[in-house]
Amino acid sequence: MKKYILLRAFYSVITLWLLVTIIFAMVRLTGDPVKMKGDVGADKAYLERIRHDWGLDQPLYRQYTSYIGNLVLGDFGHSFEKSLPVRTIYFERLPNSLKLGFAAFVISMVLGVPLGMLSALRVNTWWDNVGKTIALLGLSMPGFFVGLVLIIVFGVQLHLLPVLGKGSSAFIWSNPSTWVTFWFKDWQYLAMPAFALGWYFAGAMLRITRSGMLDVLGSDYIKLVRLKGVPEQVVIAKHALKNSMIPLLTLAGLNLLIMVNVAVVIEVIFNWPGVGQLLYDGLSNRDFPMVQGVVLMSGVMIVVLNFVIDVLYGYVDPRIRLSR
Amino acid sequence: MRKGIFAVISVLILLLDFTSAKLIAAAASKPTPILSGPLAKLDIKDAVIETARGKPKGKLTIAQHFALDPGWLDPLEHSYVITQQHYDYLVHDALIKPMPQGEFTYSLAEHAEMTADFTKAAFRLRPGLKFHDGHPLTTQDVKWTYENYKGVNFKLFHDKLQRIEIIDDRTIIFHFKEPFVQFLDLYNGGLSGIGWIVPGHYYQKVGRDGFKANPMGAGPYKFVSQEAGVQMVFEAWDEYWRRSPGVKTIVVKGITDLTARMAGLQTGELDLAYGMTGKLLPRLMADRSLRWDRNFTGPWWLLFPGYNEAGSPFHDKRVRQAVSLAINRQFLVKQETQGIGIPWGNWVNQENRDALRGDGKDLPVPEYNPEKAKQLMGQAGFPNGFDFEWYVPFVPYFDMGERILTDLRTVGIRGKLQVLEGPGFRAKMAQGRKGYPGNRTIVQNVGPRPGGAQAEIGVYAVCGGSASFVCEPQIEKLWAKHEASVKPDERDGLIKAIQRILIEEYYFVPIYLNPFVHAVGPRVLPEGDGFHRYWDTLHAPYPWPWEVWEVKE
Repeated sequence: MKKYILLRAFYSVITLWLLVTIIFAMVRLTGDPVKMKGDVGADKAYLERIRHDWGLDQPLYRQYTSYIGNLVLGDFGHSFEKSLPVRTIYFERLPNSLKLGFAAFVISMVLGVPLGMLSALRVNTWWDNVGKTIALLGLSMPGFFVGLVLIIVFGVQLHLLPVLGKGSSAFIWSNPSTWVTFWFKDWQYLAMPAFALGWYFAGAMLRITRSGMLDVLGSDYIKLVRLKGVPEQVVIAKHALKNSMIPLLTLAGLNLLIMVNVAVVIEVIFNWPGVGQLLYDGLSNRDFPMVQGVVLMSGVMIVVLNFVIDVLYGYVDPRIRLSR
Repeated sequence: MRKGIFAVISVLILLLDFTSAKLIAAAASKPTPILSGPLAKLDIKDAVIETARGKPKGKLTIAQHFALDPGWLDPLEHSYVITQQHYDYLVHDALIKPMPQGEFTYSLAEHAEMTADFTKAAFRLRPGLKFHDGHPLTTQDVKWTYENYKGVNFKLFHDKLQRIEIIDDRTIIFHFKEPFVQFLDLYNGGLSGIGWIVPGHYYQKVGRDGFKANPMGAGPYKFVSQEAGVQMVFEAWDEYWRRSPGVKTIVVKGITDLTARMAGLQTGELDLAYGMTGKLLPRLMADRSLRWDRNFTGPWWLLFPGYNEAGSPFHDKRVRQAVSLAINRQFLVKQETQGIGIPWGNWVNQENRDALRGDGKDLPVPEYNPEKAKQLMGQAGFPNGFDFEWYVPFVPYFDMGERILTDLRTVGIRGKLQVLEGPGFRAKMAQGRKGYPGNRTIVQNVGPRPGGAQAEIGVYAVCGGSASFVCEPQIEKLWAKHEASVKPDERDGLIKAIQRILIEEYYFVPIYLNPFVHAVGPRVLPEGDGFHRYWDTLHAPYPWPWEVWEVKE
């Protein structure tokens, strides 16, 4: 098992190194960020000074080696556009993204899973039709559309909810008292963006729960359990639901990562200060260190999650670790 | 008789008294000279100081239309982005800067001089100046800022400087190696960061990153906090020398999405939002709870990269003229700006002192005459028109590009729209003609640039310009003469002559004055139309100075 874990860890490091290298090369294909900073008509000396400050006057291999060297030391570089260390800005934003991502995740699960189960249990009834309609709307109505409708109805017309930002609550790493309060304050700011983000994923959850439940309910062992005369509630709760959850939980984990890292559109519409906006701003302004930093951190989250899942699979199913 | 003589003498004494009193007052108000010898005539307006100090109240929440850069808080690394001045005017202060009363207005300095040969400049600071931490602001800080400045034009400033002489805590003289005619233009707070005085003691203590994260200055507002890219909070500084700021707290948010800014205004979460021109402008105008200011920033204009190559259809002046004649500016203004733009006959920002006006006063408003355009096309050898490669609109004004393309098609000039993203467009523009391969392209631009028409010409319209689109011998001759001249009137005349050539030869085709609409919510005072006064500062795309703003509590 130890060998298996070490091997998975090695693969993870290789994956991250590849990611870092690819993103390092890709951002440099987008053009020269110095020209953007300088704007039209900038004097040469000023541009050269910026180029030097940003290390872009170095040969590419040197830029790469110094980038990797700094990464090893935990330094993501300085943002070209926001003029401060990427690490500082990223970790200032990350709690906001986690808050939005978790809230949207809860909404997607609370809406999607029970409705999916209901659809499967009342298949081809009007309950099922309602469920399928909600799933269809969830998957076909883009988040920005749902977001704008929410803003117009609950913000502009009814004046019930604020439409901009996250409120005054902040997660301050140096202040432990904010570590808990942050998650429970300013829910009114969170409600609309979380719903707009979670809505799409609720549709996906509903679909996968429904199809998973239908598969399980049609399987031989469920038939056998029913033949044994086990009460229907027990059949569903103990035997069907548990087994139908396996693909659902795999998808849920992935969805959560997506909601945390790439909720760009929702963050822009609601001016939510998350890491998605950082990536968007970074791409819009050729902010190489910022794009590299955000992509790397998203990659780290995915790789770590996969690593944990792989290790858990190894524990759960010995055939997997033996086959590798 | 005696009585009569006594009365006459009394009147004479009184008159003499009155005259001498006036003379003494005049002598007292005339500042003591710093430099000797003949001096250049400077037109710097006096600051308006309000002695009755009110109490700041209320909160003003502003939506900037892009993500906020903490780097804007550091004048030492001043960029070309004009938005940086938004923050200069909040936290910092300059020796002289544009204010509502004039492009050059005394601020930290109460007196300035320049020798007639432009080799020395001197300033006297106001008494009792200090930074937000109470540390006195002296000529040492002015010197430190100059010496440590690394922003735009820093090399020019350092290359020209011979030495800095500090006479006392309030008097400073810059000695230049050669005539530095542009010094005051460039040192003015409206053009670069070097004139905005940074507290050397604090900068050295907290370092470069520390200063950007927690800046300090001598401006009307103290920095309180920021979330990089998202929000900055400023608090009124009661001890600001000119007056007490009207608003207690100013919060600036970076909100890129127009719909979000509009919603924020409508819900009352925002009091002032920038960049409201666009598809939501009719909604803004229809909302009775909101008010807006046209805020003209500069004219739209077309350029023809590669026009001077023989193979280009735009090589012929008649074709360029046909382009101008084909554009229905009135219709464009109605469609794009709900009729608040103004068709304009020059490509340089109308507020510049050396700009020719394009409303018929100096240059005619361009004519709309598609029939004449077709005739000119026929005379130029294109009776059936021609296809050109790309029409490149300024990002994100793609609708406007489509409308202009439609106008051009009606006279036989057929092209396709090339949609670029913002960075791509700016990078291409920064290269000038070299940014556009081939010679059959039309580029649409709007470029309000501080520094007047001379700065615009120096960038776009001379062979050596960093983004040169025009390279013509007759312009080069005038430009060389301008660069060699130390006579302000002569320089002004030469710049105007170049503008006239550029327009009359259709090297550039102006379209209309662009309103960069700003909107305010109901909390902003004064109620009614009086709020337009916040946009009175010349060349200001944003409504500074901030200390004059007032809101309801």
